[in-house]
Amino acid sequence: MVAYKAKKLYHVSSFLRFMDSVINVSNLRKTYQVSKTEPGFLGSIKSLVNRKFEEVKAVDGVSLKINEGELVGFIGPNGAGKTTTLKCLSGLLHYDTGFVSVLGFNPWERKDEFLKQIALVMGQKNQLWWDLPPIETFNLNKVIYEIPEKEYKNNLEELVTLLEVQDVINIQTRKLSLGQRMKCELIASLLHSPKVLFLDEPTIGLDVVSQKKLRDFIRAYNQKNKSTIILTSHYMDDVKELCKRIIIIDKGRLLFDGKLEEITARFADHKIISVVLAKDIDPKKLEKIGKVREYSFPKVVFFVKREVASMAASELLQHFPIADLNIEEVPIEDIIREVFTGKNLA
Amino acid sequence: MIKKYVHIFKITFEEYFAYRLNFFLWRFRSFVSFFALVIFWLAVYGPGENVFGYERSQMATYLIGVAFLRSLVLASRSFEISRHIRQGELSRYLLWPIGIKSFWFGRDLADKSINLVFAFFEIGLVMLTLKLNFYFPEKSIYYLIFFVLILLSILLYYFLSFSISILAFWTEDVWATRWLLGIIFLEFLSGAFFPLDILPSWASRIIYFTPFPYLVFFPLKVWLGQVTAADSIRVLFICFFWLVFFFVLSNYLWKKGFKKYGAYGG
Repeated sequence: MVAYKAKKLYHVSSFLRFMDSVINVSNLRKTYQVSKTEPGFLGSIKSLVNRKFEEVKAVDGVSLKINEGELVGFIGPNGAGKTTTLKCLSGLLHYDTGFVSVLGFNPWERKDEFLKQIALVMGQKNQLWWDLPPIETFNLNKVIYEIPEKEYKNNLEELVTLLEVQDVINIQTRKLSLGQRMKCELIASLLHSPKVLFLDEPTIGLDVVSQKKLRDFIRAYNQKNKSTIILTSHYMDDVKELCKRIIIIDKGRLLFDGKLEEITARFADHKIISVVLAKDIDPKKLEKIGKVREYSFPKVVFFVKREVASMAASELLQHFPIADLNIEEVPIEDIIREVFTGKNLA
Repeated sequence: MIKKYVHIFKITFEEYFAYRLNFFLWRFRSFVSFFALVIFWLAVYGPGENVFGYERSQMATYLIGVAFLRSLVLASRSFEISRHIRQGELSRYLLWPIGIKSFWFGRDLADKSINLVFAFFEIGLVMLTLKLNFYFPEKSIYYLIFFVLILLSILLYYFLSFSISILAFWTEDVWATRWLLGIIFLEFLSGAFFPLDILPSWASRIIYFTPFPYLVFFPLKVWLGQVTAADSIRVLFICFFWLVFFFVLSNYLWKKGFKKYGAYGG
């Protein structure tokens, strides 16, 4: 009897541990049916009679777990399945198979208690009412999300001050600049203090200064509110600056899930040695050291195997007229680009 | 709960005022078509004549009633859902902790009330310039039946329009269905052009089986006192049947269609 109870307790606790993470996804799959139409008038007519569908696997067996308070970067090329995953997590899309739980809810059921605790911000879509000033959207969200008056006032004031948009929240949304609008979008999504925040390319199309400002804000927000954030972006800078953990996805599959630093170790078995030559020499001689990536006198860039990097460097210093030498890691941008294009780094 | 709808109501209003000119032009258009329709029908009447069983004042009342019910029953925003489905704008509302159907119903109500205010002025203007008499039923029971029937028809129209709109989950082009529904069925079969009983009786009998005449034609017939007590019960019953039918259908279509929603864009 006791043994039985213990066993049962064990099951319960392991279940709880499993549910512990805020976001739990296992083996998520989503296929889109895309109808194909041949170009031109005749093509449209043909497609009326005989429509051809093609299945596109947007997400193909993704599993991941994200704990409370984590800020995770989700990267991948266009059409990798990032946005689709976020849409499944926020209950917009019905997935084919797999298990998804966010805050213990099945997003697909779109329960009010669930929706009140999440927010999805899409850089390319607006939720602000186009013809009305942002403050109208804020007020509407207050009512829709049933935010208590006091909390609403505090949140609004804090967010507006942090993002420095005091002057624009009373101007018609369509007259705002992209940067101003994006900030207001964020405010509209954060008024109800969501526990889980999905940010889909929030910095897209913004200038460098606004990008930085938004980034600083997201970091501060995450630290202060302990909210769980998934951020997708095309800009490596966003991810590099904000996220300790990144998830790389391509063609609907997970390529990498781990710490940012680990990417370098995992995918880049090479280092970069760049030297400045004191004298012009025959480039063929340099080939002995390693693969020459770039040669434009006086600058030479080598790719050498990680293990032999220091040896190659000393060899260079001994046998060549070197003015300056640097050993660097391959930039993350390059690694990721190479990972996506499937090319070997060397 | 009520607060949410009041706010949706408010924001829909404000949107209209952001595009005042657009709205005034739309009202002007409906005013002109109403005016033309009345002129056309009155031209048919000689002095003291009775056309298709309608006296001049009855026909005038019918046409005024049409203008009124166009705003009260047929005015709607819910047709926008199909555009939202195609362009992925629906996502924004799906993220809200509020029922999609209630949200759009709130918006429809706002649309109806703002149109109604303008319709009152326009109707008044037409009645004054053309010196029309408006017929009021004598027995109070007709007011009651009219009122109940209008309530049913507002709901019926909403679920009908919602069901049609969410066909956008399947068809990429809803324009054709909208046109078909909007012009052929709604305007013609609901009796918004002319009273349906001027058609050959076999034709009108067929039309009575469809949900459309219960939106405009029958409420006005009740108002004119041209429906017997027994018939009004039947009319209420059929209208209610269609209401339940489209309520169930819209739920079913939503459940099925939403699975196909692609949340495109972004």
